[in-house]
Amino acid sequence: MINFFQPYAEYGGEWLPVLLDAMLKTTLLSISAFALAVVFGLLLWFCQASSAPSLRHFASLYVTVVRGVPLLAVLFLLYFGLPGIGVTFDAFTAAMLGLALCFAAQVAEVFRAGMMAIPKGQREAALAVGFTPGQCFAFIILPQVVRVVLSPMIVTFVSLLKDSSLASLITVDELVLTGRAMATEYFLPLQIYIAVGLCYFLVAWPFSLLSRRLAVR
Amino acid sequence: MNSLDPFLIILQGLLRGAGITAVVTFSALALGLALGFALSLFRQFSPSKLLHGLIDVYVEFFRNIPALSHLFILYFGLASLGFRLSSMGAAILGLGLIGAAVTCDIFRSGFKSLSPGQTEAALATGFTPLQTIFTILTPQAMRIALPSLGNFAVQLLKDTSVVSAIAAPEIMFYARSMVTSSFQTTLIYATAAGLYLVMSLPLMQAVRMLEIRYGRVK
Repeated sequence: MINFFQPYAEYGGEWLPVLLDAMLKTTLLSISAFALAVVFGLLLWFCQASSAPSLRHFASLYVTVVRGVPLLAVLFLLYFGLPGIGVTFDAFTAAMLGLALCFAAQVAEVFRAGMMAIPKGQREAALAVGFTPGQCFAFIILPQVVRVVLSPMIVTFVSLLKDSSLASLITVDELVLTGRAMATEYFLPLQIYIAVGLCYFLVAWPFSLLSRRLAVR
Repeated sequence: MNSLDPFLIILQGLLRGAGITAVVTFSALALGLALGFALSLFRQFSPSKLLHGLIDVYVEFFRNIPALSHLFILYFGLASLGFRLSSMGAAILGLGLIGAAVTCDIFRSGFKSLSPGQTEAALATGFTPLQTIFTILTPQAMRIALPSLGNFAVQLLKDTSVVSAIAAPEIMFYARSMVTSSFQTTLIYATAAGLYLVMSLPLMQAVRMLEIRYGRVK
């Protein structure tokens, strides 16, 4: 046991700034990918709710494909595959785009479920008292949907944060890739990968607690 | 030679990994379901606060840390202690342990959604507590849990792609090694993606049928 903890005492000072830096990168990647996923997810949700059959078919095909294809395959296609047909992204952009494309389906599903929780009468009543459909959506429906979707959205963010670790496999220097580099440098894979795991835990756990607290209400 | 040939060669190469993908998925699923069910029983029905705390810690740790990180700890980390797991062993163990945390939550929400009257009535009519749990509560909780368990299985199938990072020879592993020798990168990864899609479609269809049957879809 002494042997296990000793490297932390010895190298902790060197590891900490490097890990914090990588944590920042992971967080940055996750937040920007999540923001993009919300935008894509909302677009997808509008397609699903649209009255045009072609848009609805597109949305349902999109959701099926995204649910059936692993994120890793999407990331490899975007980063290694697309240059073959002349489209090149840097690793960070490819990771952000891949995560956003995959999580858009989940975001759309969260919004759909949230929308279903709002009784139809709300809209009918708002229209009856003279709100325009746009006003009705913005002032009556949306504020309520946001309250319902907040907790599942945070759960989605935590999944995205964890899946951002796959970006290490397309050379984004986030937590896992930084951990790998450190593991080869110090030959202490157990201690380093546990430290990396704890870094994720420190970011993800507060969000998990928050989502549970919000869900109870 | 026709234009389909490169595609068929790639597909053939990737199919070598499909068996391992299936083995890892089913083994991890079995481990996750068995362990997760046991954990949910202890968490829900044991009176020990200590045990509740331990299970909560287990679940939080496995649910808030990425699979890749767990796999590296099991595969590279334990090896440094002289505890060498094969890449398949580490893959199944890692995904299974994570799966147990996920299914523990799924089973628990199944148990929690049952009305307490069920337990009271069973005990009042003379069932022992164990009989109550296994013959009255578990079948009902299972029904509620089934659609979520199905979704978990679909997710697990996709997550097995991650174990290529610890060199388990599944679909993604072959895809990556073929890329280094043939340079048909786009076609290879697109075919791999398609292969996963084809494998998950029947599972997704099964989930949809479960959802309709057990009334989650209105």
